[in-house]
Amino acid sequence: MSPQGATGETTTDRSLLARIGKKDEEALSALYDRYSGLVFSEAKRILRDAGAAEEILQDLFYQVWRTAERFDPAKGSLAGWLLVAARNRAISKLRRKGGITEELHENGVSLGVDVESHAAQNLLIEKVRAVMKTLPENQRQALECAYFQGMSHTEIAEKTGQPLGTVKTRIRSAMEALKKVLS
Amino acid sequence: MPEDEAATVQAHVSGCDDCAARLAEAHGHASLLVFTVKQERPAGTIKAELLARVRANRQSEEMNEWPSRVYTEGHENEAKDAGKGASSWLTWVLATGAVALALVSFGLSRQNRKISAKLEQERKVAEASIREREQIEKLVGMLASPDTMTVKLAGMGEMPNASGMVKFNAKAGMVVCEAENLAKLPADKSYQMWLVPMSGAPISAGLLGPGGHAWGNMWTADVPANIQAKAFAVTIEPAGGMEQPTGPKVLLGAT
Repeated sequence: MSPQGATGETTTDRSLLARIGKKDEEALSALYDRYSGLVFSEAKRILRDAGAAEEILQDLFYQVWRTAERFDPAKGSLAGWLLVAARNRAISKLRRKGGITEELHENGVSLGVDVESHAAQNLLIEKVRAVMKTLPENQRQALECAYFQGMSHTEIAEKTGQPLGTVKTRIRSAMEALKKVLS
Repeated sequence: MPEDEAATVQAHVSGCDDCAARLAEAHGHASLLVFTVKQERPAGTIKAELLARVRANRQSEEMNEWPSRVYTEGHENEAKDAGKGASSWLTWVLATGAVALALVSFGLSRQNRKISAKLEQERKVAEASIREREQIEKLVGMLASPDTMTVKLAGMGEMPNASGMVKFNAKAGMVVCEAENLAKLPADKSYQMWLVPMSGAPISAGLLGPGGHAWGNMWTADVPANIQAKAFAVTIEPAGGMEQPTGPKVLLGAT
């Protein structure tokens, strides 16, 4: 369910963040309802462990609660930040590296598309999946290795036995295809 | 990206708005991959724990402000009401206790969730072991039963050197097959076993090989109980099997 304002419109992330900055628990609850599924699914896909994914999910939203006032919407979207932060933490856990804790005011993430309602998220799911189906298998695999396993281009080249240049080209081509979703 | 390279990039983008925007965009495009993932919901308890945690955090922050405020107020009002400061301190102590309790509760809740997840995993392993044991008992019982008949299968068509043996118990509706010298099939094909009843159309008795229910080098399948078999056959079918035989017979044996 998307949180609705008095006008019936979906409450924006920006207004929810402003309320969270003033320690409004309902706003945090609404933000959690909006993005917890995406964040959890992403972390679980990487870690293959629901418990570990739930820990990352909870820690991220707790961080939003504590530092909401530091988020600068001009730098990027909150949804994008949540997804990248969840991914980085999950990869860090997967590769047993030290803890990563991006701050809300650090690097922004421009998602370039509205995902502030579940309807918008579902639409994007359809579009992205349709594009992924059109990708050659080797491009899709290279992209997934990089994103979901945190593998460097060199590591992917070693794993697949392909030249490094080929791996880079595959990932770049796949990224170009993904960008088309936004156009 | 190697850590040193990442540090160089990070150092650059922190002072270059243009590159920071490009990096933000690249992160955003890559994040679209999340939308290919099967969407799942976290356990409902996670949200409750999160809200308990933020409440504890809020109370803790309020606590940090109270001592100085209470101290100041205490001094200002000392002459008027000496007992008021003590009362405020008592409130502060109680509130601190409440925060500590909330934090302990949060920690226990998280621990409890981990233990529950582990128990659930162990329960599934135990259930799988029980199922496996039941299957073995059922198989041994069937093989030892005087009601079980043995049917020898002979190779034919493309595979004259193939052979096999079927153990069939009509009462239990259970078929066990062992086959030898069957050639390896391409990925889009499967061997499928058929029970040919005394009357009516053949009944699928499962796949041999990948996709079938294997036990060691034997394949087992359940068929409807109390059907008398006239013969057993194995055919080559599209991967996953068919409702009725469509491909060439490679093994056949009459009861």
